[in-house]
Amino acid sequence: MSAFQSPVLGQYIPTGSVLHRLDPRTKLLFVFGYMFVVFLAQDALAYLFLTVIAAGGVWLSRIPLPMIFRGLKPILWLIALTALLHLGFTKGGDLLLQWGPVTVYEEGVRQAGWMSLRFLLLVVMGTLLTLTTSPIDLTDGLERLLKPLEKLRVPAHELALMMSIALRFLPALWEETEKIIKAQQARGADFETGNLFQRAKSYIPVIIPLFVSAFRRAEELALAMEARCYRGGKGRTRIRQLQFAPRDWGMLVLLAGLTGVLLWLRLNT
Amino acid sequence: MSQGVLSVRNLIVAAMFAALVAIGGRIAIPLPPVPITLQTLFVMMAGSILGARWGAVSMSIFVLLAAFGAPVLAQGQGGLAALFGPTGGYILSWPVAAFLIGWFTEKRAPRLSVAYLTAVHVIFGVLLVYAAGVTWLSFVTGMGWNAAFAAGALPFIPGDLVKTAVAAIVALRVYRVYPMIRKATPVKSQKNQ
Repeated sequence: MSAFQSPVLGQYIPTGSVLHRLDPRTKLLFVFGYMFVVFLAQDALAYLFLTVIAAGGVWLSRIPLPMIFRGLKPILWLIALTALLHLGFTKGGDLLLQWGPVTVYEEGVRQAGWMSLRFLLLVVMGTLLTLTTSPIDLTDGLERLLKPLEKLRVPAHELALMMSIALRFLPALWEETEKIIKAQQARGADFETGNLFQRAKSYIPVIIPLFVSAFRRAEELALAMEARCYRGGKGRTRIRQLQFAPRDWGMLVLLAGLTGVLLWLRLNT
Repeated sequence: MSQGVLSVRNLIVAAMFAALVAIGGRIAIPLPPVPITLQTLFVMMAGSILGARWGAVSMSIFVLLAAFGAPVLAQGQGGLAALFGPTGGYILSWPVAAFLIGWFTEKRAPRLSVAYLTAVHVIFGVLLVYAAGVTWLSFVTGMGWNAAFAAGALPFIPGDLVKTAVAAIVALRVYRVYPMIRKATPVKSQKNQ
């Protein structure tokens, strides 16, 4: 299982570009803002702005296009399917094409085009965020972004800590799982035959030891943290400080500008 | 989350469960027509082993991890694209499912049976999740309800029903040796002690 070999990295591809060096908070805010703004777009001009920004992001990230395409692949056929459904079933406007029972209307073509483009933009921006930012950076960024919400009892620090723990233990637990499966096979466990229920049931001797192991690790980690006087995020200092650079402010201004333009276009057309 | 010592342990176990759900996505039983992963098995157990609150926390962590591009979804997928893609509805409903499963498990806590747990798993781990998933699928792709149901639920239902029973058996055994759920004795919140 190769994908777990670098689970901390996930989809992250370090190229050291400007986008990589942006503060993770900026990137989170920008992408989430963008995802809402996309739904304001209704006409060609608005989509043009959105596309230019997404394309600019791809260009700035210096990530090879095939890599980005690889992230999109699972979604592409669905975009195609959605487009086809709209082509076939949306009625309205002039009849453009009739071929047997298949009819294509003007409105259908327009809907199919805009829907696919909107979907594609969302996916590209999401992929770009995870390609240019490591999960650890994102976790850090999220913690800092949620910090003001701690007054409302949102446990920002705990959330970030739990995400780091889960990422940290993924490879260890996966290794453990493989080991347990092999051990049970050596004892004659059979995972390959029988009906659905028998096969699912044959995994019980894998799941139970896995739980025992996971609980034991949790127990050990809890003990270790308590021994080091861990008592939550309050008053904790960190070795890596996030800092806003001018380029971060630039991105936020760009987002505000984009939102303004799209709102204006929406209200005036 | 201000209970100190006890919550550190719960916090870590909940994080572990988020990791276990990711691992469940990797264990696939190759069966026609669709291979079955153990992912939803662990989702149901997150509810019935951790209880409502921590089950929901643990699954929310999982969703956040997926959003941040960690390869935690089935077949090593991850990222916002996968989460807000057509099959995102299932994953986004997991925190709610785990919460409700946990809530109904806690209600019966000392007197649990495999039959009761299976029923809870079926209602919230299968019916609820599919309702959310199919609605999302049909909304995102613009498919009709029947098409969405045929594509997004029907092939998986037999496998999921089997998993509810397996999850109930395992959850009960884990509960016997390692009860995370204690009968909810209302602990008064102690402020400024």
